Amino acid sequence: MNVWMLLGPVLLLGVVLGFVTYAILLERKVLGWMQGRHGPNRVGPWGIFQTVADVFKLLIKEDTIPAKADRTLFKMAPVIAFVPAFVVLAAIPFSEDLVFADIGVGVLYIISLSSITTIGILVGGWASNNKYALLGAMRSVAQMISYEIPLVMSVVGVVMAAGTLNLTGIVEAQQRMWFIIPQIIGFLVFFTASLAELNRTPFDLPEAESELVAGYHVEYSGFRFAFFMLAEYVYVFAMAALTTVLFLGGWNPVFGLEFIPPLIWFVLKFALIVFTIFWIRATLPRIRVDQLMQLGWKVLLPLALFNIFLSALLKEVLEGWY
Amino acid sequence: MIEMSGEFIAFFVLAVCAIGGAVFMLNFTRVVHMVLSLAFTLLSIAGIYVLLNAEFLAVAQVLIYTGSVSILMLFGIMLTRHRDQEETVVRPWHGFFSFIGVGALFGILVHTIYNTPFEESTASVKEFTVSRLGEIVFKQYVIPFEALSILLLVALVGAVILARKESKT
Repeated sequence: MNVWMLLGPVLLLGVVLGFVTYAILLERKVLGWMQGRHGPNRVGPWGIFQTVADVFKLLIKEDTIPAKADRTLFKMAPVIAFVPAFVVLAAIPFSEDLVFADIGVGVLYIISLSSITTIGILVGGWASNNKYALLGAMRSVAQMISYEIPLVMSVVGVVMAAGTLNLTGIVEAQQRMWFIIPQIIGFLVFFTASLAELNRTPFDLPEAESELVAGYHVEYSGFRFAFFMLAEYVYVFAMAALTTVLFLGGWNPVFGLEFIPPLIWFVLKFALIVFTIFWIRATLPRIRVDQLMQLGWKVLLPLALFNIFLSALLKEVLEGWY
Repeated sequence: MIEMSGEFIAFFVLAVCAIGGAVFMLNFTRVVHMVLSLAFTLLSIAGIYVLLNAEFLAVAQVLIYTGSVSILMLFGIMLTRHRDQEETVVRPWHGFFSFIGVGALFGILVHTIYNTPFEESTASVKEFTVSRLGEIVFKQYVIPFEALSILLLVALVGAVILARKESKT
């Protein structure tokens, strides 16, 4: 038991909180620029303290619990939603040396633990004793379950090509070519499904303000609400890191530019994915519920299955190349 | 004598969590609380699998039991009569007879466990990897695996047919 075993996770939590703070600012800035606005620019120079101020406001707010709510579950739900989001990060390899837990079944570990958050959301919606909250939770859970299947199926192609479920092994298998090129169908399915899992636009139906008031967290305020939001952004972090590892070659450099440290490469690819997520939010409108389910079951799932078939075929035919 | 290693402490904590979840499940009166404590028990069991070096089994346990099955049950409860509470019915002698039944079961189990000779030596658990699991399932046991898939498919089709019939009437 050395010092890093204790200090490492604390440092990671600090990094993640810093990421969430500035990801929210960047998101608002990027949205602003794409819509011809300035974005937040009042608090601090260039608005850099905007999120800090927002979080501070949430923390000092009165903590309200509805009278008819199930008090214990109401308090537990944000915790159930947040803890898996952070635990998931343990398995992600940021560079060759910087990995907290090198688990043999890393990919499955991340996907399976993230499904516990769904329970937190459902419980939060139910415990509020509010019909909008319950409806929002139901929508959210239905969406997350439907899109988890294509998400897992699209990873199968990568696992077949790499021959391992270990994330470090998957990155090492991409030294010659990133999996985004041979697994382009898998990447498209994975990215679409991950947007839906993250409840991001165009799949932000669980939080559709115009239809559902706010979704599963209507009754939440103060720091409990902040915890739900934090869980959501920590998942953005986890999902962007997972996409980087699975499809963009993790810390492997491009064009033999090896003088740049591996961690910087990881951060650059990671930032590209995060920016793409914000970009899509500024570009696409929200889709309807029936379209959402049709896309998930009738387009993404068959595509993912086709990708598995194609990967198996190519692996046999083009042995050595692939 | 049991040595106090980290593994033992972890097992002890996980076992207490699993049993605690199960006891809470029996004692709660609201159905939603019951499902949540059941999910907690299932999660603790996944932790015990990790201790036994069965990573894949642990992850599958979390994915299927803690994640999907619990959510399915919660969905079912919330979409139906979720305000139901169990009413406590006072039955004389109920506790006494249950105690005798449970005690007898415990006695039989302990007796069987102590009297069964475990002759074969334990295989080294360190070398059980996912790739070996895959090889065994898809080579040695491929026919039972396929039979199981067909069984699941039949169940799926059956469920669809049952649901369709209900909507017509």
